[in-house]
Amino acid sequence: MSDTQWPRFMVFQQVVAGEPLVHNGTVHAPDLEMSLLNGRDVFLRRPAAHALWVVPVECILTKTIEELQDGSWLTGVKEAGGPMARYHVFGKLHHQGQLEQIGMVEAAGPEQALKTAMSEQQGRTVWVWWVFPVSSVLASDEDDIDSLFRFAESHDFKNQAYYPVITMMRQIRARGKR
Amino acid sequence: MYGASVDDVKHDEKEDAGKMAAFEARIARGEKIEPGDWMPAEYRKQLIRMISQHAHSEIVGMLPEGAWITRAPSLKRKLILLAKVQDEAGHGQYLYHAAETLGISREEMVEMLLTGAAKYSNIFNYPTLNWADIGTIGWLVDGAAIMNQTMLARCSYGPYSRAMVRICMEENFHKKQGQEQVILLSQGTPSQQKMMQDAITRWWWPTLMMFGPHDTDSPNSPLLVRWGIKTRSNDELRQDFVNQMAPDLMALGLELPDPDLRLNEETGNWDFGAINWDEFWRVVKGDGPMNAQRMAARRKAHDDGLWVREALAAYAERQARLN
Amino acid sequence: METRLNAGLAEYLIALGDDELILSHRDSEWCGHAPILEEDIAFANLAVDELGHARLWYELAAELLDEDKERFPDHLAYFRDASEWRNVQLVSLPNGDWAFSVLRRYLFDVLEVERLRGLKQSSYKPLAEAAAKIYNEELYHVRHGRAWLPRLGLGTEESHRRMQTALNDLWPFTPQLFQALPGESELSGVVPTTPGLEAEWRTKVVADLASANLNPPEKSNPMNRPRTQQTEHMMDLLSESQMVARANVEARW
Repeated sequence: MSDTQWPRFMVFQQVVAGEPLVHNGTVHAPDLEMSLLNGRDVFLRRPAAHALWVVPVECILTKTIEELQDGSWLTGVKEAGGPMARYHVFGKLHHQGQLEQIGMVEAAGPEQALKTAMSEQQGRTVWVWWVFPVSSVLASDEDDIDSLFRFAESHDFKNQAYYPVITMMRQIRARGKR
Repeated sequence: MYGASVDDVKHDEKEDAGKMAAFEARIARGEKIEPGDWMPAEYRKQLIRMISQHAHSEIVGMLPEGAWITRAPSLKRKLILLAKVQDEAGHGQYLYHAAETLGISREEMVEMLLTGAAKYSNIFNYPTLNWADIGTIGWLVDGAAIMNQTMLARCSYGPYSRAMVRICMEENFHKKQGQEQVILLSQGTPSQQKMMQDAITRWWWPTLMMFGPHDTDSPNSPLLVRWGIKTRSNDELRQDFVNQMAPDLMALGLELPDPDLRLNEETGNWDFGAINWDEFWRVVKGDGPMNAQRMAARRKAHDDGLWVREALAAYAERQARLN
Repeated sequence: METRLNAGLAEYLIALGDDELILSHRDSEWCGHAPILEEDIAFANLAVDELGHARLWYELAAELLDEDKERFPDHLAYFRDASEWRNVQLVSLPNGDWAFSVLRRYLFDVLEVERLRGLKQSSYKPLAEAAAKIYNEELYHVRHGRAWLPRLGLGTEESHRRMQTALNDLWPFTPQLFQALPGESELSGVVPTTPGLEAEWRTKVVADLASANLNPPEKSNPMNRPRTQQTEHMMDLLSESQMVARANVEARW
């Protein structure tokens, strides 16, 4: 069966400038440019954001703590020559948490990148690792912040505090009957 | 890679006693299971079933309410309803994503919905017949869903639990806007009161059925509880719901269509009458008032959209070749 | 401002609000029926934005007319008959297929951005402020539309055919977009002149269409009616949108 739902892209969001990016989820999109628009529409229906990144799912190397625990994956990683590239490193640091940006490394391939990241982050419990090349990311532009991310600021009706139902119920109960 | 295919992982899922013990120990410690981790085949299967069913419910659930966006009686209500139905699309989107991490594609899931191989919540096979249904769905139906979702936000599978945390956060306004409308209509003009009572009479029993069969008739439950997917049973959640809703609705002067409903002073619970399980199973099997229309609407959107999805895929392929 | 200007500007703003509200109505009809889930969400965002813009324009009109800011917008939306609406015909046309809906939005949004650029400079402060907010959102709308244009125009034979058909059907309704709005003649310095927006719109639109292999029809029969004339579709639209409100005239929601 042919898949007509388009490829998947990971979406990351930065709430405030300078803070780490956090994983949001995925969107289906026909291409990278559309995935940024879809990421905005799906994940920013509530404020706020400073930046949004999209990355094709197949560009991400992922390993869990369980997959790494017996050390066999790590020993299997070969030294590689070839051109160096920069990789983003994301990790899940808490049971309940999302993956978040924890660093950047230079390496000759994704596996070497993860290996380097693991030695740099030693002593830290990382439940899930993701690495992907910096070149695979499409990021929103600083100039687009107003038009991409501010539309939901006036959506006060999405807060439950907008609906004074507790007070309303109390008043009705105090009246005893309608 | 993220979300290996189901076939790739099968060989690793021989019910290896050592792996099973380690898996159950992780769940007992409160760790989250993540894509890539070892998991029993049955755990994966149950999660795909539950999450995709849940996603389908969000998508089909857009239809009964969506029909009233264009008829909402004030601009404020129109805005709220539009944003709410949009949220449901978003929640379906998050949930399909969570299921995709288990190795099933969205295409496959959509196909299963459209061929009737997958189920969705029964409640959306009932019609929306007046504006008061919108408030009722918000307060009662979303209220019932939130009880389930709050439980699932703590479930053992990481992507499902994270999707649920997000959904719960967003859903809270759905319930409150519904409650506000029920309050206003029940205290409003005679014709508003009349439509409100009509809505509550029609939706009360179907809402109670949303929690699913009695614990004694729910074959998956013990396993789901053991593996930290569910932490509370259908009957427990249903009783909590009745305890919460019945006194509030009665305080508003609304009548609930159950002569056996009363507060049990000994247990502190609201006792209620027997649920019509014949109706429940009839609707599950496709014979509800709106099953055919709901599926026809989904199929039409899917079929009408095919040329669009194909066009964009063709364009992307051509661009990729050029670069 | 003096009363005469107030009344003129209010009329102008109500016409802008009518455009937005009717377009929002049409876009919201896609919610639950779009070609792919991501677009259910994207189109709903557009509809939410337009609805918000309509309310903003109606509220400004309420202030100018010394009406209740809460109730006046609902009065305009729910208790006017078709002959009292001032939207362009383009926005009330039924949705048709996805090509028609995407293209209609695009043609309309490019004009909106041009108009808002002028309104941001308005000598009437509250109008300039509202325009600045709306402008940001409309920039995104145009970006969304411009992303779709080449993808559908160049995608497959079928998508190209549907887009060109939609363009042929929509084009006759575009001259009406550049008629002076109600009240506009007395508002120099407060609002940009609408006929003055046409040249810029045409340059941009024709270029974008060309890069998507789409061409405006050479011969078309312009449907350049005054804004006081509505399509028959508008009757159906209003009988749906007003049915609950009108059946319960004295109710609060």
